[in-house]
Amino acid sequence: MENIMSKDIRAVIDQCPEVGRILEEYGIGCAPCSVGSCLVSDVVGIHGLDPQTEATLMYKMEKALYPDRDVPEPKVDMSKVVPKEINYSPAVKNLVDEHVLIKRMLALIPTIADFVENSETVDKDLVLNCVDFIRGYADKFHHMKEEDILFKYVDEQSEIIKIMYEDHVTGRNHVKNVVEGAENGNKAQVKEHLNGYRDLLTQHIKKEDEILYPWIERQMSDNQIGELFQRCSAADASVGEELPRKYEKFIIDLEEKFAKEN
Amino acid sequence: MSDCCPGSKTMDFNEDDVQGEDETGARQSQLKQWPIQLHLVSPQAPYFQEKDILLAADCVPFALADFHKDHLKGKSLAIACPKLDSNQEIYVEKITDLIDESKINTLTVMIMQVPCCMGLSQIAKSGADKASRKIPVKQVVVGVEGGQVLSEEWL
Repeated sequence: MENIMSKDIRAVIDQCPEVGRILEEYGIGCAPCSVGSCLVSDVVGIHGLDPQTEATLMYKMEKALYPDRDVPEPKVDMSKVVPKEINYSPAVKNLVDEHVLIKRMLALIPTIADFVENSETVDKDLVLNCVDFIRGYADKFHHMKEEDILFKYVDEQSEIIKIMYEDHVTGRNHVKNVVEGAENGNKAQVKEHLNGYRDLLTQHIKKEDEILYPWIERQMSDNQIGELFQRCSAADASVGEELPRKYEKFIIDLEEKFAKEN
Repeated sequence: MSDCCPGSKTMDFNEDDVQGEDETGARQSQLKQWPIQLHLVSPQAPYFQEKDILLAADCVPFALADFHKDHLKGKSLAIACPKLDSNQEIYVEKITDLIDESKINTLTVMIMQVPCCMGLSQIAKSGADKASRKIPVKQVVVGVEGGQVLSEEWL
């Protein structure tokens, strides 16, 4: 099993699709992940399963990969395993709360994309205002706190952090394409990359809320948790209270606009 | 005392249930200050400045065999009993002063699972709410029998 632990999860699932199904059973959604470069050891460790559940998961994966091996089955009653409620520290809770506003933008994107497609010309102001929200709030205000502060508390060379950085870069490329499409009046380009951004960020936020943030916090001491809170508070103070308020109002107005039009 | 109150209910933990092996050799104390009782400490004391603070209910260290190693290490300490101590409004003020004046980094409140011990978390929360600075406050609940941490949560 040791050699499997150091392989990419995608390679293991490709070799044995049953592994993907087993991971799914344990709430670990690696099978549909487009990247899949996390090591098996990281995938298992990062989810913070209790020792017995982890032992059972490893047993099932080993049996799927090597059906002829004689491996003793760990005794665990899965019906008695209670899912743990995630308790974020205050600084990380703020990051999770910021995701809520970003998810409201993501929820509007299919409607905005259809609106752009069905309009005679691209509503440049609308598209560029959405881009301003993505760049000003989701990227500058939110992602920068992750990149400049939170991610520094763990090994930035770990696969999961590299994937988060890649997601941020891919998101920025989608936004660049949306702007280009709006400038050139290319409706298909705007629609494609708005939807691409939505799909990317939806999965990205889910991974952060449910897996990455709890994993990072498990590695942090109370002293680091306090320091993180002060650093994030200072970053928020440096941009002022007006910026998040402005973007919240933008989302409310956008929701009202499309509620009326539908 | 009446058996009605879980905080003072008589319980005898059978010796047969005691787990673990006898240990030999001296263990290092992690206490780095004096005094420790919340009425006696000054919030301006140097050992509180910008530190992580542990506010423990009086009974907690007796319930946890590894209190020093697992919980006190690296922290400055204050102890109090929310059931028996008087003038608890001073406790609230001291928590506020610790946060605002001594600029403590975090506050961890350790209480026993008995209901009256929740009063200490309330004191910590009131003191933190009154402070102009904000800091992370954590509550750790310790089981009466078996000496285990039952829950840990950021408030």
